[in-house]
Amino acid sequence: MRRFALFIAFLAFVAGCGDAPSPRAEAAAADPFCQGAMAAVDSFVASGAQAAPEDSRFGGTAVVGGIAEMVNGMNAFATIDYGANQYQQFVNLMTLVRLDEELVPQPYLAESWSLSEDGTELTFQLRNDVHWHDGERTDAHDVAFTFLRATDPETAFPNASFWDRYVPGPEGVEVLDDFTVTFRLEPHAEVLDPWRAMAIMPEHLLGEVPPGELAAHPFGTVCPVGNGPFVFVSHRPQERWVFQANPTFPAGLGGRPALDRIVYRVIPDQTTLLTELLTGAVDVYLSVRPDQAAAVVQDDDTRLEVFDPREFTFVGWNTRRPQLADARVRRAITMATDRSAVVQTLLRGYGIVAETGVPPFHWGHDPDLAGVDRDLEAARRLLSQAGWVDRDGNGVREDAAGLPLEVTVVYNAGNQDRQTIVELMASELREVGVALTPEGLEPGQLAARVTDPAVRDFDGIALAWVAEFRVDEKDLFHSERANQPWGFAGIGDPELDALLDTLQLVEKREDAVPLWHRYQERIVELQPFLYLFYSQKLTGITNRLQGVAMDSRGEFNSVRDWWIGDASGR
Amino acid sequence: MRRYLARRLLLALPLLLGVATLLFLLVEAAPGDPAEVLMSPGMTLEVRSQIRTNLGLDQPLPVRYARWMGSLLGGDLGFSHSYGSPVATVLKRALPNTLLLAGVSLVLAFVLGVGIGVVQAVRQNTMVDSGLNLLVLTFYSLPSFWLGIILILVFSYGAQSLWGWPLHFPASGVTSVDYDLMSLGGRIVDRVRHLVLPATTLVLVMAAGIARYARSGLLEVIRQDYVRAARARGLGRMQVLFRHALPNALLPLITVLGLYLPILFSGAVFVETVFAWPGMGWLMVEAVSSRDYPLILAGSLLFATLVVVGNLLADVLYAWADPRVRYD
Repeated sequence: MRRFALFIAFLAFVAGCGDAPSPRAEAAAADPFCQGAMAAVDSFVASGAQAAPEDSRFGGTAVVGGIAEMVNGMNAFATIDYGANQYQQFVNLMTLVRLDEELVPQPYLAESWSLSEDGTELTFQLRNDVHWHDGERTDAHDVAFTFLRATDPETAFPNASFWDRYVPGPEGVEVLDDFTVTFRLEPHAEVLDPWRAMAIMPEHLLGEVPPGELAAHPFGTVCPVGNGPFVFVSHRPQERWVFQANPTFPAGLGGRPALDRIVYRVIPDQTTLLTELLTGAVDVYLSVRPDQAAAVVQDDDTRLEVFDPREFTFVGWNTRRPQLADARVRRAITMATDRSAVVQTLLRGYGIVAETGVPPFHWGHDPDLAGVDRDLEAARRLLSQAGWVDRDGNGVREDAAGLPLEVTVVYNAGNQDRQTIVELMASELREVGVALTPEGLEPGQLAARVTDPAVRDFDGIALAWVAEFRVDEKDLFHSERANQPWGFAGIGDPELDALLDTLQLVEKREDAVPLWHRYQERIVELQPFLYLFYSQKLTGITNRLQGVAMDSRGEFNSVRDWWIGDASGR
Repeated sequence: MRRYLARRLLLALPLLLGVATLLFLLVEAAPGDPAEVLMSPGMTLEVRSQIRTNLGLDQPLPVRYARWMGSLLGGDLGFSHSYGSPVATVLKRALPNTLLLAGVSLVLAFVLGVGIGVVQAVRQNTMVDSGLNLLVLTFYSLPSFWLGIILILVFSYGAQSLWGWPLHFPASGVTSVDYDLMSLGGRIVDRVRHLVLPATTLVLVMAAGIARYARSGLLEVIRQDYVRAARARGLGRMQVLFRHALPNALLPLITVLGLYLPILFSGAVFVETVFAWPGMGWLMVEAVSSRDYPLILAGSLLFATLVVVGNLLADVLYAWADPRVRYD
């Protein structure tokens, strides 16, 4: 027994002091880059440190819990991860512009901008009081560097198409002075959007890194140096990110954030995450499941923040398949699917039926669009008109050549929501003579079968995407892009092509709105995807955390103003 | 014994090289790659192709294999693109967490399992035996993730928020967010508190299995002649049980120990996920999702090594525990 007690005591000792060095020390030891970068950050932050203002709102730590690690962390050249983008845009780094409540671009790192009359030159005037967290000033060279690297094919930035209509390479950008930079572009709509989405990266730290090595550079996950309201402190992979208030954040942008620290914890299981929220171990639970919403609402110490939907779920069709080539068949499938029931059962009402990929918050969204209502009789008629009739009485329709109307819809294995949706569809479509088979695939296999143009071995795929503020569905539906990874629908429609070409060129929103409305009508007519629903974003927040205002711009849009209302605890 | 050990270790090397080659080919044969799992509209074929080039995946298979094997033999496990760090660094962060959880759980599971098995054997065919049997079978058949969630609901949420118990445990993580600011004593307590629920989950499930082995082993041994002889010589019941019967009854458990070791390292993935415990199991799941080839290969090779080492360790322990066993 004594030996056993000694053993336990030994383990406790090992647990307490035998663990790995602090993440910061580990980062410094990782390579010379991190060693230098982190030392400079510490020094600069210490030099700017001052007592927090005499205001009860200042101080404290907010803990945010999410289910996934931030892939590529603060490396804006590599990440396409929604969560990581949020931290880049609002927490650790800065974008040139940010959106206001009306989703109109407003100054942020850029103090002002101007577009030449012919729409071919966009000039930004930057603030001169923003510093990288190692003390270097953020200037126009950083902006030019970000553009050049992001659009350099060797960098392989997945979102390089943000700048499709900018003149590529050094000819496309000119640094006029330290705080003025001009870009050359083709006249087009939403010219500022790339600068709302992409955080500016530090040239003085990454300028010498070959473009092909940027994605895997330790800057992203080991030792990021930002210029935003919060300074990177440490990152324990699969565990947590810690940021502290930037004491030098410009007063013109609100100055030092109210919180001392913000911690992002990775907790992959949502039941555990809910428990952590209800016990106060986390202050913010990102992406509460609809079936958990009631628990958050009913708890006296937490509240539920519900905001405009950006994520939409759909089934994308492969219209190259003979069963799905006719728009009437696709429309009939939509008619036979009870999307309202899916919203009520799966989302517990926290969502709306989707008709297109133009989200409700988008200025071009048509609120009066005539969608497709559930109508089994009409669905049956359409299928018969298209030549699909149950000729052998087995309950499944066939075409004249005897090809049965059977489709397989693939989805991410393990994604319970998508599995439920596809299974519901299977039972509903049986009523109109369509045999739908759900097939769960491992994500890598799913991607290979759907997005590899040489393979395209699928009928339908259940997916969910986060809609961008600048909607450009050319990659999905333009016939020119049918052989690119995302042209998996294979739709070829001259009117749709023309609309997709034109929409991105019309600079004035009032001129573009009628075109956007026609575009949505055409999508409803063609049904290249079965749009299921926009799900509302649900976030659980403890009542001790105040100043939180979330909307479609993102959960961290107001992070600089968050403050701890209850002085007890952290 | 030394010659036996040396021979086994020498045989293990080609075995592990064979496993490494097989792993490489299996990973290559899996559909999808790091470029394809990036499901982002707007990403062109050219960008995909460049990502493959940047990761060295555009080279022919034999070239990649030769490079990887060369690096491996030189002690370089490669670079994890999803963590932006050398694979060795990534493993070095996750491995101690798994070692801690697995080590504590394994020891406690053996202590508890053997204890229950002994009580059951001694009280064979009584209410105690039946009751413990029911308990053991219940825990044995419970999925670990479900048990983990129940423990969280009771000992974290319920204990703290509903019933206000003085003792409650954190539901997730290895340490608190303030860990780096704590004193040494505070750190020890914090670590142990975080360890309680995940370790209890593993212990309850494993101990149930071990108890079954211990009970049947002991029942078999106490019917042997030498046990009867010990009793006939007038030795006390406890002395017969703990000095003569139990050591022999536990021999088969050494084999179980050898088998549990690798299972604990790779198979605790559900427990690691439920308790957000950043260990090897969870790491490997993430590596597979992001098609982080060097990390998948290094982690799998580590598991293969553990299987070899676990079996070797079992053989050595067997020889140590049972003087009749000779390998030379």
